[in-house]
Amino acid sequence: MISSIALCVLCAAVLACLMVGSLHLRLNLFLFGIETLFIAGATALTANAHGDASLFLIAAFIAALKALAVPIFLLRTSEKLNVHRDVGAMITPPLAMHLSIVLLALSFFLTRSIPSPEMIDGGWYGAAAGISLLFTGLVIMLTRRLAIGQILGFLVIENGIYVFALTQTLGMPMLVEMGVLLDMLVGVMICGLLVFKIQKSFEHIDVAQLRDLKE
Amino acid sequence: MSEFDNHLLTNCSRWILFISTVIVLPVLCLGLIRKTKARLQNRIGPPLYQPLFDVLKLLRKGETLSSTMSGVFRLSTVVVVTTTLILAWLTPWLSFKPWSPHADLFFIVYLFALSRVFSLLGSLDSGSAFGAFGASREVTLGLLVEPALMLGLVALGLYCGSSDLKVIFSYPHQLGSHSNELAFVAGTAGVWTLVGISIFLSSLIELSRMPVDDPTTHLELTMVHEAMILEASGRNLALIEFAHALRMSIYFGLAAQCFVHAAAAVWHISALSQAVLNVIGICAIAVFVGVLESLAVKLQWRKVPEFVAYVVSMSLLAAFLVAGSGAVKL
Repeated sequence: MISSIALCVLCAAVLACLMVGSLHLRLNLFLFGIETLFIAGATALTANAHGDASLFLIAAFIAALKALAVPIFLLRTSEKLNVHRDVGAMITPPLAMHLSIVLLALSFFLTRSIPSPEMIDGGWYGAAAGISLLFTGLVIMLTRRLAIGQILGFLVIENGIYVFALTQTLGMPMLVEMGVLLDMLVGVMICGLLVFKIQKSFEHIDVAQLRDLKE
Repeated sequence: MSEFDNHLLTNCSRWILFISTVIVLPVLCLGLIRKTKARLQNRIGPPLYQPLFDVLKLLRKGETLSSTMSGVFRLSTVVVVTTTLILAWLTPWLSFKPWSPHADLFFIVYLFALSRVFSLLGSLDSGSAFGAFGASREVTLGLLVEPALMLGLVALGLYCGSSDLKVIFSYPHQLGSHSNELAFVAGTAGVWTLVGISIFLSSLIELSRMPVDDPTTHLELTMVHEAMILEASGRNLALIEFAHALRMSIYFGLAAQCFVHAAAAVWHISALSQAVLNVIGICAIAVFVGVLESLAVKLQWRKVPEFVAYVVSMSLLAAFLVAGSGAVKL
């Protein structure tokens, strides 16, 4: 059985895989926004299914903060720093995309053996999408050299954890969700400031070069 | 009029329609691409039927043959044209074919490869250095694109439970007969769309169009397909050009069929409107290619494998979607 909730989170997982394939920051941020909108949609559908009003609020917050504010903030940061393209690390983006697609399939086979709560419709697909988002975030963090790419990978991992929690439980308490969202927002802001500082003191934001000591 | 006569009449009209499509559609595709490019460059551009006049003009012209040529050169043109015509007959690129024969997808992919091999032989036989250049690049492209195309078609085959393209492309999407409507619609539309994209992108590589090769280039060093037919002239060139245009409309037709099937999974589409949508789809793809060629720049040669990798990932996604949607028990 597959529900519209599961369909939404699967679309998010596929969009994350597409994100891996491009090094253009603008396209990446755009895809991240759409992906998060799908997750907000899944949250709203879950709220509808369980009749939980507070989840609607969380969906609205996710759409406003994670899908709009964070990408716009990161976009402005990248424009101020005058970086538009990552250089890429380890493997080329299309091959990384293959890797993440294979990991998407792998997470499907992994989650088949995880017992899913009976009362949740399509929880199995949700778990697969969550784990795949986690893997994809890792792939993004591994294949990016710029700090902004690292932040994006981290955000995708966060999305994965949220999707897993959303589809495996009947929704967390609103207070917890709000706290997590706020933490995430503040985390991204701090990361953005850090990127500025790194740029200022090292004149680049290439994390691969941060290993070398500088006088 | 008896039953038999009536049957004969419909059959004949279908054949006439099919044959005229095989002649008109390639011309229209090429014309549309050129017209779109011209309009985007603020030119009026040649009329849509100009490619037909070009071919007719070439047919009247004399031929110059290099002294190193053997019979292989002649043979290659004949084989290329014949295989393309056979492909036009076998491949389900049109919804309205008089008689759709059974055609295995592996057979089709290797018929395409056969025509490629013979155009290679022709260019090698001509003895020009540029021809050999083009041949070497064409082989590289062919090697790269074959797994992508094959994987996409095999995903479709697994989804429909047959390797016969006739069965695959006449696969009925019966709405309402499944226990889980949403999963069926999403899975079917997803698989067909992904495979459609993958066939379209691999057609750009197979036909040496823009992101991989510039078909209007004048610099022999950067040519792929054009370098291979440099030595052809007169009727030979006319036949090669026609075969290439027909190949193009077959590829675009296959992609358009995939998109039509994706749409048929979501909405109910009658057979007639499917046929109309098919032709509109081919024209739309041609216009899209024109726009793409005006906007995109040619990729560096060493970046081409990356472009192919994107095509492969589309096919991979389709294959995993098929595996995940439960059509195949892994």
